[in-house]
Formats: sequence, structure tokens, C-alpha cells
Amino acid sequence: MRILKAFSAFYLNDRLTGLAGLALLVLILIGVFGSMLPLGDATAIGAGPRLGPPTWELPLGTDELGRSYLPRVVQGIRVTFLIASIAVMLTAALGALIGMISAYVRGWVDGLIMRLADVMFAFPALILGLLVAALIGPGDVSVVTVIIAATLPLFIRVVRAVTLSLVERGFVVAAEVAGASRMRVMIIHLLPNITGAVLVQLTYALSVGMLIESGLSFLGLGIQPPYASLGSLLRTGAVYLTIAPWMVFSSGVVLSLAIMSVNLVGDGLRDMLDPLRGRSLR
Amino acid sequence: MKTLNTILVRLLVGLITLCGVAVVIFIALRAMPASFEDIVLGPISTPEARATVAKRFGLDRTPTEQFVYWFGAVLQGDFGISLVTQSPVAKEIARRAPATIQLTLMATAVALLVGFPLGTLAGLSDSGRLVRGIGRVIGAVGASVPNFVIGSAFVYIFSVWSLGLKVGGYVPFFEDPVTNLRAITLPTITLAVFGIALILRTTRDSVQRVLTEGHITTAVAGGQTKWQIVRLHVLRNASIPIFTVTATYMGYLLGGAVIIEVLYSLPGIGLYTFNALENRDYAVVQAGVLLAAAVFVTINTLSDIVYVILDPRIAAARDKQ
Amino acid sequence: MTPLLSIEDLAIEYVTRRGVVRALDEASLLLTEPSVIGIVGESGSGKSTMGLAIGRLLPSFANRLHGDLKLEGNSVFDANDESIRGLRRKRLGFVFQDPMTALDPTMKVGRQLVYAGGDSFGQNEALDLLARVGLPDQARVASSYPHQLSGGMAQRVVIALAIVRKPALLIADEPTASLDASLRDHILDLLVSLRTAMNTGVILLSHELRVVLRHCERVAVMYAGRVVEDGKISVVFANPGHPYTLALLAAAPGRERPGEMLQPIPGIPPVLSGRAEGCGFAPRCRFAGARCQVERPVARLVANRMVLCHHSERIIDDPQKKDHAR
Repeated sequence: MRILKAFSAFYLNDRLTGLAGLALLVLILIGVFGSMLPLGDATAIGAGPRLGPPTWELPLGTDELGRSYLPRVVQGIRVTFLIASIAVMLTAALGALIGMISAYVRGWVDGLIMRLADVMFAFPALILGLLVAALIGPGDVSVVTVIIAATLPLFIRVVRAVTLSLVERGFVVAAEVAGASRMRVMIIHLLPNITGAVLVQLTYALSVGMLIESGLSFLGLGIQPPYASLGSLLRTGAVYLTIAPWMVFSSGVVLSLAIMSVNLVGDGLRDMLDPLRGRSLR
Repeated sequence: MKTLNTILVRLLVGLITLCGVAVVIFIALRAMPASFEDIVLGPISTPEARATVAKRFGLDRTPTEQFVYWFGAVLQGDFGISLVTQSPVAKEIARRAPATIQLTLMATAVALLVGFPLGTLAGLSDSGRLVRGIGRVIGAVGASVPNFVIGSAFVYIFSVWSLGLKVGGYVPFFEDPVTNLRAITLPTITLAVFGIALILRTTRDSVQRVLTEGHITTAVAGGQTKWQIVRLHVLRNASIPIFTVTATYMGYLLGGAVIIEVLYSLPGIGLYTFNALENRDYAVVQAGVLLAAAVFVTINTLSDIVYVILDPRIAAARDKQ
Repeated sequence: MTPLLSIEDLAIEYVTRRGVVRALDEASLLLTEPSVIGIVGESGSGKSTMGLAIGRLLPSFANRLHGDLKLEGNSVFDANDESIRGLRRKRLGFVFQDPMTALDPTMKVGRQLVYAGGDSFGQNEALDLLARVGLPDQARVASSYPHQLSGGMAQRVVIALAIVRKPALLIADEPTASLDASLRDHILDLLVSLRTAMNTGVILLSHELRVVLRHCERVAVMYAGRVVEDGKISVVFANPGHPYTLALLAAAPGRERPGEMLQPIPGIPPVLSGRAEGCGFAPRCRFAGARCQVERPVARLVANRMVLCHHSERIIDDPQKKDHAR
């Protein structure tokens, strides 16, 4: 019910955001329930000709092993979202915790955490991907690690900034004077107030995570067969680009739509929480 | 002077971060599935050479001292020997640097030259719904479509219809400018799309924010024309965040260069490092990562400093903390 | 002789997502010549809207429904973009509440003055102007950024910017609200002095009666988007003709005798979404009758002031009032 309310708030606020939210919902649903739909078997090798073009029975054609591409893309959606979501949830939890502690405790702890965050931030995501792949080999753990390392610093900074502004307001001091322990203050007073900022950052981190995962998978450093994310589908598709372009086209479009809907929802959330009014210069 | 103080603090933070990066790389280096001597010397080396290296890098000493030796070597430009070519990594990287540098600089230039004006127009509220709509579309699409998807689309289009631009066939600029540009245009545009979207969005938000500030009302009340206000007040105030965002964009470029160089077979540092990973040439991987991170930190520190100089309020605000 | 400022039955509404708010409900004001007039009203009374309307500085979601506003005979709302800019540049000056946000933070103060001054206004003239608004050490001030100045100094700079082209009319909206109490009178004295120094009319918008009483010659009291009483200070404050003015004086601190209680006005000001039926103050007025609920008061001249009330005569002669003029 609340989701419905939020959605209609979106839609009324801004049609584009509402559409994006709808698209996102559809994609997530496909990812979650897609395998139950009669769209074909993602693993059936030889179900059709190799690299066959789209037909009525095989709506997105077939890949290099003759598997119907549509269910592969559906599976790809699921894997892409799953990996990025897990990574971002972890980042959110860690980032919220560390950011709050850092802002609340201040002192040298704060300084240390900020410097560590700086060092983490210094490595561009894909570059870090190379390093992590060299250390522990490619795979889903590798991807999740890179996503966390890439998105955690910003999360910490945002949560820290919000917490700092909250701490200066009266109710924190009041709680402390009343004798609340630091832990209690953090959980009961600070945590609810940072959810807005965390939510906005979460959506952006999700889109960044999806970009990172697909980038690493495209290079072969991410999701490995037999699992397939949209990025790794693009990797195999790119090999046959000139002779079977529909593979790259379909997975590319789906991936782009997925990331775009997440971005637009994030924009909409941010506008809802912090609307700026334009001013005419006449 | 407060500004000078803030600048020095920023420099210090930058240096500390660089040291932190070096520590991380060093730890990674020791953790890599290859011995340190192999990395420094390459796999084919005499026992005497290995003993010399062991002594020079103090492998019989504490990790801290090893770090110091290694860091010292790095600062002198010694990144070890490449497994594949047996020649110094630093030399190999230097050979491939021009392509990457050209790609990065050109992409940044395109992103700024296209993104900033469009973003300003999109941010001015009397720009009409069409302009603002286009701005939104570019901002959303450009930031969402992964660069390798755009790149693949380009590769496909330009393999089928040449249109004068090539995929591959890179030649250094000073050898043959025309061929060089023909080869590097597509990779540049591919990377620039994200930059245009990023800078457009940042500029638009920044312009919108500045328009709500009180001094704009003062300017309107003073009878200035729209373009006077934009030129004198809006652009100056709105362009301050652009520096920060350009630094972020360059971070993206460092990573994006790897994918794009691989996709377009552009012989730059990104392709080199990526191939080195496949070949287990860890000396190269370590050097490439270290270099990328160091460049990124330097760019960020510089942009922070420029920010402080441009916005006199920052120095004053820090005093209040 | 064309009057300096003529506002006739001006009605302005704001169209927001949450609905329509009528900020001015046929407000009228007439200034025949430069003088110092204070406009008194609570927030929501419409005084800021009226002040901004004089320069057509209202936001894009504001609509003028009807009524006219003429500055030296020129209609402000019918002017094209170029003429209104000319009016703003040369005939009007504005001073707003917060000096810090009113100045461009990335530009030195002297440069901002020189830009505003136009041709033949250079560095020397800027220094003179800074001296004229009472700033010492003008060279240092001119080469400073706004955040390097104190609030009081910055407000003087804002005033300098407003008068740089010797405008015919200066509108100051709560110019001292952000400043320390000790500075207030100095800044207000400076503003008032402009009338004699440059023959500039000064409109001072304030919610503080004390301020208006001390510095202005004339007062216009606003309520619910209309000017409900308008006359010389000595007339209006000594003997209010509108229940709202009366109530304001009774509620204002600082002038009561020891042991006397302040009387707050019960209720809250209305937020109008359309033309008010009857008198806007009626719900809170102790003199209100049946007529007040349905019949909008028309402006009348009663005992030397303009007033919008059906019962002004009764109020002026009311023996319950105390003498508030000092």
C-alpha cells in the first residue's frame, strides 16, 4: 500500500520519474520471476541454429551455442541486479555505520576513517578491478569487492556530513544530557534521520554498481560462465558483433534501460527530498 | 593567509593519500601469486641476481623496511621488469602513454566544450521546455548507457559503413595527424558521452542553485539584462563545482580507458595493463594500477586547491568549524 | 504633476502546487513626492509582495490579476523588458534583509559597485560612494569580498549599490532584521537621510512599529493583502482609525506602562485564495458587525487619513483607547 502511495507521489510529481519507477519495477519482477515464465530454456544448447536471427519462436535469436537468447537475457537481468544489489546493500550498511561513528565520535578516529576512505576512493573502479582480479581471480566475489570499495567512500562521506549537521542540532545534545548512551543516541535518534540521504545514495550506488559489474564482466574479470550477467552476455556477443548483432543489441538495450531507470528513480528521489525552485531572470 | 593554509592542508592530505595508495599496492604486491624477485627481475634470472635483489630490497628485513626500499625504487621510476618483454616496465609504459594521454585529454575537452554550454542553457529556467527536455534526455541517457555498449554500437556501425573513421589503426599524432585522428575519434566520442552527461547535469544543477541565490535578485533589481547576469554572476558562481566533477570524470576515464582501448585495440596503457593481467605479468599490473591511482589523487588534489582559490568562502567556512 | 508612485487596487496571486494564494487583494498606495513612508504588517500581509511588485521582481509563478502600478507615470506591468530594466537600473533601488546573500560572493565589493554604476562611474566614484554610506577605510572595503565584511558593513554596501544611480525611489524590506540591535538605528538613519540628501523616496517595510514610528513620516498599515490605514505617523499612531492598527499598538512591547499587560491579537491572519468577502480583519475584530462579514470596506478619508473600515469614526472616538503617541 505504501509502495503504491510512493509510486503515485512519484508519478504526480514528475511523469518521467514515474515511468522510470515503473520500468524498474517491471525489470526487477522479470529478474525475480522470469525463470518461471514460459520464455524458453536458458541452458538448452542447440534449441535453435547457432547465431540465428530473431524469429517468432526465438524472439531474440540464438547465441553461439544455439541457446535461445531471450531467457539468457532474462537470466542476465537477474544476475546483474542481484550482484549489484547485494554489493550496494553491504555498502549501505557499512557506510551508514562507519559514517555515523566517524561523525559522532570525531577526534582521531574520524580523521583516520576519512583518510582510509580517501585511499579507497583513489582507485578508479575498473583499475581496482584489475588489481583484485590479479589477487583473487575473477568472479562474483571479485566484483562485489570492487563495487563496495568504489561506492563505500562516498557513502561514508554523505552519512558523515548528514550526521554532523544533525549532531549540532538540539535533540542530540538533549538526549545526551538526559543520559542516553552513545549507542542509543546513534540508533534511535541519528539513524532514522539519515535514511533519506542513504536512500538517494543507494540508488546512485546501485547504478554505479551495475556499471562496474557490467564493465568488469565485459572485460572477462567479472561474472564467469556458466552464470551470465548482462555484461558478460555483451562480452560474448561482442565477439560475433558483425555477424549476429542482435545479441549485443538486445542485451545492450536492456542493460542501458535498467541503469537508466535506476538513475531516473534516484533523480526523482533526490528531487522529492530537496526540490530547488528555478528563478526567472526577467 | 587563510587560503594558503587551506591549500597546504589539501596538499598534505594528497600526499598522505598517495602514501596510503603505495602501501595498498605494496601489500597487494606481496600477496600476488608470484614471488617478489620474479616481479622485479622477471622469471629468468640467475641466483646471484636474485640474491642481489633480495639484499637490495631488504627481503630479509622487516616489512616496513621492505616497503621503504620498494617505495624508494618506485620514486626513482623503477617499477620492475616485464615478464613478457624482459624490459623495464617503466619504459614499456612510457611507450604507450601518448595514446592514453591523448584519449583522456580529448575526451575531457569534448565533454567540457559540449557539456558546459548545454548544461548552462538547460539550467536557465526560461530556456523553454525543449531545451530543458533535451538536457534531461542527454543527462539521463549519457550517464546510463555503458561506454562499451556505445563503443560496440560504433564498432558495428563503422564496420558496416566506414564514413572515414576507423576502428583500430592508431598512429602517433606527430607521425600522421590525419590517420591518428581518424583512429582516435570514435574512442574519444565513446568516452566523452558520459562526460557530457555528467558535466551537463552538474552545470545545470549548479546554475539552478545559483539562480536561487540572493545576489541574483540584486542583479535583476539592478536592471541587468539576462545575458549580463549570466556572464557576470551565474557562470562564475556556477562553474566552481565543475572542477570537482571534472576530476571525478578523469577518474572514470582512467578506468574507462581500459575498456575502450581493449574494444578499439588502441595501444595505450589501459590495453597494456589488461593484457598483462591475462599474461600474469604482475609487475606491469602493479605499475599500471599504481600509476592510475597516483594520477587520480594528483588530479583530485589539484582540483581541491583550485576550488579553494576560486571560492573565497571555503577558506572562511573552514575557520568557523 | 505625476505622482512618484501610484498603486491602484493591485491584486496579485501566487500559483503553487498546493493551490493559489492571493498575496495582494486590491492594495492601493499613493506617493505624490519623495518622502519616508513605513509599511507595517505581519508576515503574510503582502508588504513584501507589494515592495517587489514595484520593480516587477515577483517570481514567475506570480500573476497580476488586475490593478495597476505606475512609477513616475510609467506602468510597471505593461512595460516591455527593456523599459523595466531601465526603470530598475535608474529609478529604483532595493535593499533586502540579508546583506550577505545579496552580494555576489565571488566578486570584490568595489568591482560590484563599478559594474552597477555604469559608464563614467569608476574606482574613485566607488570610493566616494562608500564614504557617503558611512564606511571608513574605503579602499580596504572596496578590495574585500563580501564575506570579509561584517553584517553592518555589508548592508551599507548594499545600500550603496542601491543608490549608485541616484534612484527616485528606494525600497527597503526589513533591512535591519539580520543586524545587531546597536546597528539598526544607524542603518535606518542612513536610509532616511537619503530623502534629503538625494531627494529619493524611501519605502521602509517592517513588522516592527517602533522602527516605523522612529524613522518615518508616514505609515501604511497592511493586512490580508490590503492597505487598511494610511496617513501621517502623528495622526495614525496617536489616534488609530482601524481596529488592526489599534490592536497592533496594544500588542507592541516597549511602550506600555509598568503593570500594564500586553494584549495579543487573538486568531491568525487569513491566507486568501481569492478575493476576500467583506473585511479581512473581521474574524479577529472586536468592533466587527454583520456588515463587515459581507461588504468589503472601501477606502475613505476619515480624520486626515485613509482607512478601510466601516466603523472608523467609532474607533477614532472610542474612549477606551489610550494615548500611544509619544
